[in-house]
This record gives sequence, C-alpha cells and structure tokens, in this order.
Amino acid sequence: MAEMNVPESGAKKGKKKSRSKKMSTRVDLTAMVDLGFLLITFFMLATTFNKPKTMEVIKPAKDDNEDKKDQPAIKMSKTFTLLLGDNNKVYAYTSPDEVDATTTLSVDSVDYSSKGLRRVIQERQKEVARDWGHQDTIFIMIKPLPKSKVKNTVDVLDEMSINGVKRYAILAADDPIDSLICLTIRQSRK
Amino acid sequence: MPKVKIPRKSTAIDMTAMCDVAFLLLTFFILTTKFRDQEVVQIDIPASTAQIPIPDKDIMMFNISPDGRIFFGLDDQNTRLRLLDTLANRYQFQITAEQQAAFKTLELWGMDIKALPEFLAKDPTERANILQPGLKIDTTGGETQVEDLILFSRKINNNLRIAIKADKTTEYKSFAALIEALQNRKVNRFNIVTSAKTARE
Repeated sequence: MAEMNVPESGAKKGKKKSRSKKMSTRVDLTAMVDLGFLLITFFMLATTFNKPKTMEVIKPAKDDNEDKKDQPAIKMSKTFTLLLGDNNKVYAYTSPDEVDATTTLSVDSVDYSSKGLRRVIQERQKEVARDWGHQDTIFIMIKPLPKSKVKNTVDVLDEMSINGVKRYAILAADDPIDSLICLTIRQSRK
Repeated sequence: MPKVKIPRKSTAIDMTAMCDVAFLLLTFFILTTKFRDQEVVQIDIPASTAQIPIPDKDIMMFNISPDGRIFFGLDDQNTRLRLLDTLANRYQFQITAEQQAAFKTLELWGMDIKALPEFLAKDPTERANILQPGLKIDTTGGETQVEDLILFSRKINNNLRIAIKADKTTEYKSFAALIEALQNRKVNRFNIVTSAKTARE
C-alpha cells in the first residue's frame, strides 16, 4: 500500500537521462496516520477510564426539635443491624421487640464477601418477607464503629443496592445492645 | 473477440483525508481530556457498583488520607478566589496579590485556616514538599473551621455538590467527623467517590 518515490525504472531504461526528473510532491502519509490513531487510542482510553463513579449517601437530618419523639418507633422485628467492626468483620443481629431479663440475642460475625454479608442479608430479607409479607419492609441499620474502614461502609452500602434493600440508614452505635456487643468484641464506640 | 485489457490500478491510496480525520479526532481528545490533578496525598479509593459519574463542575471535594487528615478543594478558580476573600474577612488576615494567585491554583489543601497566608507566601516547590496537617476539625463546638468552609463555599456557589474521596483504609472515625461537620451545616446529602466494579466478585 505504501507508495514510494523512486523513479520508475525498467520501462524507460533505454532512454537517456537528459535532465533531472521532476520529483513527485506526494508524501507518504501512512506513518503519520498510524501515529495519529495511536495517540487517539491513548487519549480515548485515558479519558474514559479515569472517570471515577460516585455513590450517593443521604443521611437522616439531625432534628434539634422534639418532634421526633412523637413518631412511632419502627418495630425491631422488621430491622436488621449491621455493626461494622475492625479487622473487616460485620456483626449482624436482630434486636428483639421487647427486652427483658430472659432475652437472648444471637450475633453473627461475618466478613464482607458475597458468602458472608450478602448471605445474612438475604436470609434476613426472607425472614422479613415471611413474617411481614414483603421483603421491602426490612429496615437495615448500618452502624460503623470508629475503627472500621471507609471501605467497609462503602461495601455495606453497595450490598444494599445489590440486594435491593429500599430502607437503610447509617446511624451511630448508641443503642444499649450495641454497647453490650462492643463490650463483648472489645471495641470502642467512641 | 478482442481481448479486454483491464488496466492495472495503483494500490496506493490517498492518505491525506484519513490523516486529517485522525488529527482532528486527536485534537478533540487532547482538548477534552482532563488530566489528573497533582495529588497532595495518595488516595486509593474503594470500589463499588455505583454507576453515577462524578459531575464535571460545581464540586466541593473533601479528601481524607489513610491517616485521617482532611483536605479541601473547590474545582472553580473564581469560587476559590471569592472564598479566600471571605476567609480573609472572617479570620482577619491580609492577602497579597501573589497569595491570591497561589490560592487560585491550589487544588487541595488541608491546614488550619489561620496558617493559610503563611503557606501561600512560600514558593511553589516548597509548598509541594510540605506535609500538610489536614483541616482543623472540631465538631464539639468551639472552632468551626470546616463548617465555615462549607457554609462560605455554598454561599458563593449554591449549586455546589459535595464529594468525599476517602482512602479504603481510612478509619470511619475521621469520616464521621467530617459528616458531623457537614450535618452541622444542614448538608445531609453527599457523594462518596468510588471506582467501578462488578457485583459478582
């Protein structure tokens, strides 16, 4: 395909060279085009891959007034609490509706893999669906402890969207049960 | 029957038009590419399946380094200048034209606001080598530097969206402190910058 600017020899061999040949003004652009497309490829890839994504987080508004006290509390049996600890562990539990002396509580400690966290969320969704009719009734409380990493929070929020959890909130671990669990796992809440 | 002689055609193609197109596209991509800003801290962002691309303008960016230092940056240079004026008023320091110019090109910074004029007076190479201590954050009352930054920036540009870029290994404690400051200024909506990944790992 490349065109070369060499004088055509062969056919005109017999003729005598009398004057200098007129040089062709055509330049071979193939290499230039190659270079152009190479750079285009570079810039195209550099542009599209560099764009980071964002995850939108909406925190419940801090209410300074006392209106909130009048709102009915959500039934604990619809909820699921995920306490994010350090060393990439999640402590998942369901608070009982009524707490008395005989109440026992089981806490699952899982990791962030699809076999760990995702499975417990899905199991809890099924339980809620069985007890309350629909799995969207579930309310997940995400309570990151100060020692947990940002990646953990992002992972949990991600699981919410993967599992289609409609109602969830990031809250402070200020429940009495949370403090009990924190004591058991020896982690500070402050 | 006479033999039809098919003339041999040259295989050479005129590359001029193709070359034009290639360089036109090249120019387009060069102009639209936004190169990565010079980073004050190395931040390795966490991955998520979120698909919302980060907006191109009107961004208030907070960076949190792995050791919990918080940095602040605005994308628009005019907003930066107006913010500096407001800060100079509020914290009562004098700003020279050189310091203004330095602040205009400052992508991210994190230090006590009162230390800002001194920092801006240094020359660019010295500035790049200084380890910035991070914004002074105090959500228990008392000083409200971060809250002021949020409030003033939003007063200057009401469309600002808040993006938080935190390292994977940043402890939630410093993240929570920043969110506390945001919520003190009635900002309940913000974006966490993440890189893309697929749901099945």
